[in-house]
Amino acid sequence: MTETIIDVGQRHIRDINQDMQAAAARGEAMRVINTLSRHNLGVGLPDAAHLSFEGSVGYYCGGLNTGARIEIERNCGWALGEGMAKGHITVGGYAGMSCGAAMIGGTIHVKGNAGPRCGVAMKGGNIVVEGKIGYQSGFMAHAGKIIALGGAGASCADALWQGEVWVAGDVESLGVDVDVIEPTAEEVAEVDAILDPLGLVDSSRNWRKMVSGQRLWFFESRDAKAWLMI
Amino acid sequence: MCGIAGRILSTPGTVGRDLVNLMDAQKHRGADSTGFAVYTVPRDAGYVLRGMGFDKTALDRDLDDFQHLLKQNGGDLLGDPVILTDTNKHYCFRLEISDPKDISAWVRDADTLCDRFEIQSCGRSLEIIKDIGGAAEVADKHGVRDMIGSHGLGHARLATESSVLPNASHPFWARPFSDVAIVHNGQITDYFTQRDRLGRQGYQFLTENDSELIAVWVSDQMQAGLTMEQALKKSITSIDGVFTFMIATQDGIGFAKDRFAMKPLVVIDQAGDLAAATEEQAVRRVFAEESDVINHDGPSLFGIWGVGNRSLAA
Repeated sequence: MTETIIDVGQRHIRDINQDMQAAAARGEAMRVINTLSRHNLGVGLPDAAHLSFEGSVGYYCGGLNTGARIEIERNCGWALGEGMAKGHITVGGYAGMSCGAAMIGGTIHVKGNAGPRCGVAMKGGNIVVEGKIGYQSGFMAHAGKIIALGGAGASCADALWQGEVWVAGDVESLGVDVDVIEPTAEEVAEVDAILDPLGLVDSSRNWRKMVSGQRLWFFESRDAKAWLMI
Repeated sequence: MCGIAGRILSTPGTVGRDLVNLMDAQKHRGADSTGFAVYTVPRDAGYVLRGMGFDKTALDRDLDDFQHLLKQNGGDLLGDPVILTDTNKHYCFRLEISDPKDISAWVRDADTLCDRFEIQSCGRSLEIIKDIGGAAEVADKHGVRDMIGSHGLGHARLATESSVLPNASHPFWARPFSDVAIVHNGQITDYFTQRDRLGRQGYQFLTENDSELIAVWVSDQMQAGLTMEQALKKSITSIDGVFTFMIATQDGIGFAKDRFAMKPLVVIDQAGDLAAATEEQAVRRVFAEESDVINHDGPSLFGIWGVGNRSLAA
């Protein structure tokens, strides 16, 4: 496959993303250089596009992805892959706040840690974080799986809806309305099937599977004080 | 959604230029106004004042009245005032003064003119420049890029809690504490209550901006005996709202973040050569090469960065 080099620098983001769309339409892989942590790179890319970013990117990288395979060498800012429907995003380092926010499909793989509210309001797909997920990760996740191999920060899985948060390692504290349950062998096999293509299966892990306690599903305003955490 | 920035140089240099670059990269976060707090080479005696008068046709009367109050407090103007006017009704000033006998008493007296003549910074080193417009526009007008110093703060304002006025812009001086300035991204929800309490202690607030409170609140805690580190930690549970703020003194810059982890802060620190900003792409305007970035993304965080290895803990 032909590789196109896209130089970001201080060019207008709209021009850069149009170059990416054109290269994807031609079936060319892309190597994106001189990224300077800029925002909104690689947004709305189509199926079969393949990009690798050298260095770090800013906010919303890979947002609204409809099938592209995206690799980020170092770190990414807030809301990586927000609203993505399909595809695969790999981050070599740290993923900032709200990684995978409101995503509905596809996979995000973070090799380092992820910031607060990882997977906030996600509605499908999978997020795999090799390190630790930050404060209030999984907040109001409606569907999909967040899988953290290096523990979780405070208020984990706060107000979780129908998504699942799987954590190997320490959890600083649980959010409101969360139940920690013992996963079945079949459920662990499902998680391993997600981890297997990433080379991350380890049968010795002690998983904590977090699901909604379902009490907030029937929220009654007269009970609001019972849910105040601070 | 405002944008904030901090910059510390390992040795004094073109800190104004760097602050303009940091804020120009974040101009999309707040188009209403831009401001800079620059810590220039400190003087042993006397203060530099920055501020604005609200009616340039009253400039001579304002200066006469100001000088009269200053002399009553044992100080005087040093050299000619520097006055900046343009098509706007307001004018900006830079004055150098000798030491008043009691700076708090003098500031209180000078603030009797505040409905027409407002001091926006007072320091041996601190100079606050703020105005309506984007970073480049404000920098061009006030010559910020040419300012030499050790460290400073920057702010791009999207007005949410008070009017779009030049004096409601950031940074805010912690009046009457010389050489203390603050920039803030967020909203303080209990500022009327806090401001009322501090007002009853004698502090004067000149704007309706919630952020003006933070500068005075932290300084008041330090005056009461807390270290900056202790005051920053206490602010997280004592001040209600969502915030990331940076506060600067002659010795360095401190920061604090709320309990909800709502507002970002990104830092690159290369052996005391430090840039901090709301967005990483801004600090990359200073450090273009890929380097280790610290993301202060979590809740209830605070910290301090000293200038030239000075400690802020004592």
